[in-house]
Amino acid sequence: MKHLTRRLALPILLLCAGPALAHNPMCECAPVDAEQIKCTGGFSDGSGAPGVTLDVIGYDEQVLVGSKLGDDSTLTFKRPDGEFYVLFDAGPGHVVEIDHADIGEP
Amino acid sequence: MSKAQAVQVSPLKQFWLKWRFHINILLILIPLGFMPKYFADAAMFRGDSGLGANQVSDIQVGPYTLDLAELRDEAPRADGPAGHFKLFNAALCKACTTEVKAVYLRIGKPRSLRAAGTIFFGAPYRMITSLPVPPRTRSDAQVWITIEGWDGSMHQASVPLAQASPATVAWLEKQGGTK
Repeated sequence: MKHLTRRLALPILLLCAGPALAHNPMCECAPVDAEQIKCTGGFSDGSGAPGVTLDVIGYDEQVLVGSKLGDDSTLTFKRPDGEFYVLFDAGPGHVVEIDHADIGEP
Repeated sequence: MSKAQAVQVSPLKQFWLKWRFHINILLILIPLGFMPKYFADAAMFRGDSGLGANQVSDIQVGPYTLDLAELRDEAPRADGPAGHFKLFNAALCKACTTEVKAVYLRIGKPRSLRAAGTIFFGAPYRMITSLPVPPRTRSDAQVWITIEGWDGSMHQASVPLAQASPATVAWLEKQGGTK
């Protein structure tokens, strides 16, 4: 057993010493139809973001839609009237803002 | 009369037998060529060569002061679909390290504390953060620093992006707002 551990030590250490991968938050929003917008969140290391807070906030800082991403890391909501932005909030300093002007029309 | 016969050796083996000594010397020399870069990087990450490139010192953010520098004097780096990112270092003044809860960085003025931008992490004398640079950022944009105190206070200050990172502005102008 001791012999086996010693033999495996180096490969295991090499596997553990993977490069520190950045995982920057990312979020994309696109119109589904005239009324609905679908946002998909995730991280740049390829992982999804189920359960992460996604709020739609008006320019007057009123939260118009306060929700969380579903199991497929997406959320579909009704396009609010007026000016707003989408805030993907994975914790302090791990946010993505998407302005309504960047979402576009269907 | 000698009975020795010439042994048939393949050309590859012959080449190896002839040059193996020199090839092994080369294997020692190649890493030496990378040594200056290695030591420069080691000094940078240890802080021996300062906070980073294009340091902006003593930025007054409310009652606190802060030094800001980009990690390397280079254009933002792509991180897949998440966009382009630029690494910035910051150092808090010695007196304010116990009072400051968090430091954020963002291009453009933050709308709220929740959307204050990306957070600095690490030791207070050498914190680092990865700042997203939207491709449509204007070259006269400001980099906003938000400091959140343990007492709940919030202080903000800004530095021109052209001063904090000239390479980023050059990169933005090269993009020409086309993306």
